[in-house]
Parts: sequence; C-alpha cells; structure tokens
Amino acid sequence: MSSTESMAGTEGVTISRTGQQGAFGGELLTVNFGPHHPSTHGVLRLIVDLDGEQIKRLKPVIGYLHTGIEKQMEALRWQQGVVVTDRHDYLSPPINNLAYALAVERLMGVEAPPRAQALRVIMSELTRLSSHLVWLGTSGLELGAMSMLMYCFRERETILDMNEEISGFRMHTSYIRPGGVMADATPRFLDMLASFVKEMPGHIDEYEDLLTMNPIWRARTIGIGRLSPEDAKVLGASGPMIRGSGIAWDLRKTMPYSGYESYDFEVATSDACDCYGRYLVRIKEMREAVKILDQALQRLPDGPVNVDDRKMLPPPREELETSMEAVIHHFKLFTEVYSVPAGDVYVAVESGRGENGCYIVSDGTHKPRRVKFRSASFVNLQALERMALNHMIADMIAIIGTADTVLGDVDR
Amino acid sequence: MIADNLITERGVSAGDEWITVPADNVHEALAALKGEGYRLLVFLTCVDHLVDQSRPSWPGRYELVYQLRDVEKLRELRVRAFVDGDPPEIESATDLFPPADWDERETYDLFGVRFKGHPELTRILMPDDWVGHPLRRDYPVGGEVVEFSEEHQRWQTPPDRA
Repeated sequence: MSSTESMAGTEGVTISRTGQQGAFGGELLTVNFGPHHPSTHGVLRLIVDLDGEQIKRLKPVIGYLHTGIEKQMEALRWQQGVVVTDRHDYLSPPINNLAYALAVERLMGVEAPPRAQALRVIMSELTRLSSHLVWLGTSGLELGAMSMLMYCFRERETILDMNEEISGFRMHTSYIRPGGVMADATPRFLDMLASFVKEMPGHIDEYEDLLTMNPIWRARTIGIGRLSPEDAKVLGASGPMIRGSGIAWDLRKTMPYSGYESYDFEVATSDACDCYGRYLVRIKEMREAVKILDQALQRLPDGPVNVDDRKMLPPPREELETSMEAVIHHFKLFTEVYSVPAGDVYVAVESGRGENGCYIVSDGTHKPRRVKFRSASFVNLQALERMALNHMIADMIAIIGTADTVLGDVDR
Repeated sequence: MIADNLITERGVSAGDEWITVPADNVHEALAALKGEGYRLLVFLTCVDHLVDQSRPSWPGRYELVYQLRDVEKLRELRVRAFVDGDPPEIESATDLFPPADWDERETYDLFGVRFKGHPELTRILMPDDWVGHPLRRDYPVGGEVVEFSEEHQRWQTPPDRA
C-alpha cells in the first residue's frame, strides 16, 4: 500500500482505487499510462485496470495529436491538399499522397502514365521500408535491443537521402501528386537506388542475426499480444496486424493499384498470431519490398511522368515562351485551378500499417467538400484491449510496439 | 440483394457502387447486407451538404456513409443515408460491426450526429469540454482561439484586469 502511494507522486503516473476485488483478494488499481510515455510512439493515453500487474481492462484515450487535417483539406484547393496528406501518417508520406492522388484521378477519369506509376511503386516501397525500419528500431530499443535503433536508422538515412534527391524533401516529400509525380527521377537517384537494392538484403540479415534467435527478444514477444484470426477479421484489423494472424490480406494483391499486379512478390503471413509473428511478417515484407524495388528498377519504362492534360497540370516552362495558349493555361491553372467533377470515391492503398484509404466527396468546385482518411492505425488501435488482456503491464510495451500505430495517423 | 423497398436510390460514382437507404431503416439494411457477405465495415463517416449546389435538392443535410466490403468476393458497396434535425439522430451499427464504435464516436464528435444505442457516445478526438462540432460546414476554420498566443492571453484576462 505504501509503495502505491509513493508511486502516485511520480510524474506521469496517477493511481486511483476502483474498489473492485481482484483475483488475489486485493483491489483493482486504475493506472494512467501516458499520454507522454516514450513507448507509446506519440501521445497515447491508456487507462488500465490492474490486478497486481495483470491488465484486466484497458481503454485507449486518443485525440492528443488531432490537428484537424480533414477540416484543413476542405479549405485548400485540390492540388494544395497533397501537402497536408503528407502529415497525418508521418512515417509514410508518399503512400498517403498516393491514396489522395489516386482518388482525385479516379474522380477526374485520368490515369497516370506508366513511368509515373513505376516511380509511385518505387516510392511506396521505399516508404514501406523506412516505416518498418523505424518500427524495428524503436521496438527493439523499447525491449532492450538498443543497437537496433542505430542499425535501422543508418539504413533509413539512406532512404531519406533518396527522398531528398528525388523530391527535395527528406520526410514530407509531396512527391506523388494528382496526375503523376512531381518530377522525373534523376540519374543519381537511380544509381542510389541500385546500390541500395544491392546492399539492403545483407542489412536485413544483420537485423535478423540480432533479433530472430535472440532469447530476450523471443521471451518478450512469443505468446504475447495474441490476436486470433477471427478477432482480427471482426475488428477490421489490416496490414501486418491481420497478416501476423495468418490471413493473407494485402491490398497490393487483393485489390491492386498502380500496376502492383505486374510485380512478382509474396504476401508475408505468420500463423503465430503474437508479437513475434508480427515481427516476422514485417521482416519478410522488407525483403519483399526490396524484391519489388529491384523489379521496378529493372523495367522502369520511359516516357512522361505526368498526364498530358493542360487543364490539370501546368505546361512545361519552355512552352510558355512560344505559345499563347500555354500562357493562358498557366494563368488559369494558378488563379482558378482545376475543378473535379461532382461525385464521391474511395481508394485504399496498403501502407506499412495497413489499409490507408482516402474517401473524397467533390461538389464540382475547386475545393473538396469532404476528405476522410481511413487510417489503419485508428482501426488497429481498437484491437489493443483484445491483445493486452490478462498480460503483464510490462508486456504492454511489446504490444503497443508491434501494433505499430502512428498517433498522427490515429488522430489526424 | 437486399429488399428493394429498402433502397431509395442506387448508382455508381467513379466506379464505386452505392445505394441510398432511408435513415430509419439503416440498421435493418446493414444487417441484411452483412448477411449477404459484406462483413467488413471499412469506415463510417458523415458528409455535411449545407449549401451544396451540386444537386438541386438534397434529401437531408447530413449524409451518413458506410463503406462495406465483402472480403471473399472482393466487392464493395457504399450505403448512404440522409438525416436532418438538431441534433441529427440515427441508429448505431456497433452491434453489427465492432469497428464502428470509434468511427461513430468520431462522427458524433466532429459532426454532432447522435447514434442511438451506442454504448459510450463521447468525444474522441476533441477535448471533452469542447463546444461545437468542427467538421460541420458552418464551423469556421481558424474560429477558435490559439492557446498560448497573444489572443489567448487577451481572451483569458478578465475585462476588469485588462
């Protein structure tokens, strides 16, 4: 009793008594976990009822990172909205761009040219890799494998350098836009990508050497945070969360977009249904991503990277000097911008966390009426209670870690 | 397909199939669709059609959108229902689709739509003491005072001490 009272004075920990009886005759304790806890990957607060150290009830409290992105999108013009989409799931900006760009393109009835589609696939897979690397590094760090963070961030740095080379930005690239991509890939980018594809499988072996058979890592993850396939389906989980429960659901295979149907890759699954299974799925996904990158690089088609539609994208700079028509288009595009035909559309893409969807309603004007982001983290987080029940409070760290929620994506 | 008397309108928008059902029958329609194989609710949200001129008249101001997916046959269907009133009310779908829980809380928080039968309809993204529903079209952007700014200080200081 005296120990709980002394803990109550500690910063970030508040304890109250529920008066309910626990299994061992003691009372259930309600502990406030977070919101500013380093293991929550953002600002997540959990209200946990504990019987001793066992979790008996858990309630996530979210909204601390709510930035009103959907409201902002309604005030921005169609092509300005891309910049905002970068920022909700801040570990996978190009994939967010892709969902938005595909949705706008479907409403307008245009399709990006083949080279743009291949570049989109390259950027998506690079992003998936960098997102999984952040996950692996931070999860390793939280469970005691400090050096993972250094190794993972070393490779992530290479990916960020490539982002900078192709788009000028390291994180919020805004590279994929309605109608195509921002600019063609530079020769230096393609060189960097080629050497990255060559080196990365060796690095993934290094991570596996450190973790896969590591007794501490295995003790902390095997059998922890079990999510049965039935529960995963009913709770609407997606991404590594559902594949870690043995269900081969990957939007790149089941509902392909951007030409993913033409790439040869496997959907990573694991029947373990626990934290370790989700770890194996992500490692396998990283290997598959490198395979896709290799294929995309081998057969990168030539040609334009934007649709040839002057009503949607500005004319090239050279044309402005010789063509009156081009000047008119340029002026109209930057003063009035394009409008999107009235209607609504839902497009879902597979991000590092699962189904990242964009639902757009247009009323036929130059700004969207409603943009809704269906974020994988928001839905996956609802499965947290199911996974954490009857586990020790210390296992929460492994469970939150392998659920891989990005709180910016949850709160939007 | 579910009983035709439940469907008031149907169509295809940019390749996505949709149907409109009367707001009073939304639960019945969703239950029937779930029986037909649409077992996953991808998302649930609301659209505010205040002064929307893309259609001569809208059946109601708030449009509830349910995106359903049949993961076996790989098909999707969007169910729409229009509600009006202050506060707008509709039946909850949490008993059919567990992921609807947070989606409904979010829709209540941001649009003020009340879901009858929801186990715990509270704000989820905005603070509990927030006034108004930010994603309604008549809620201004930048209408709230930014905390810790000069304006906030002025707003916090009582008039007799200003």
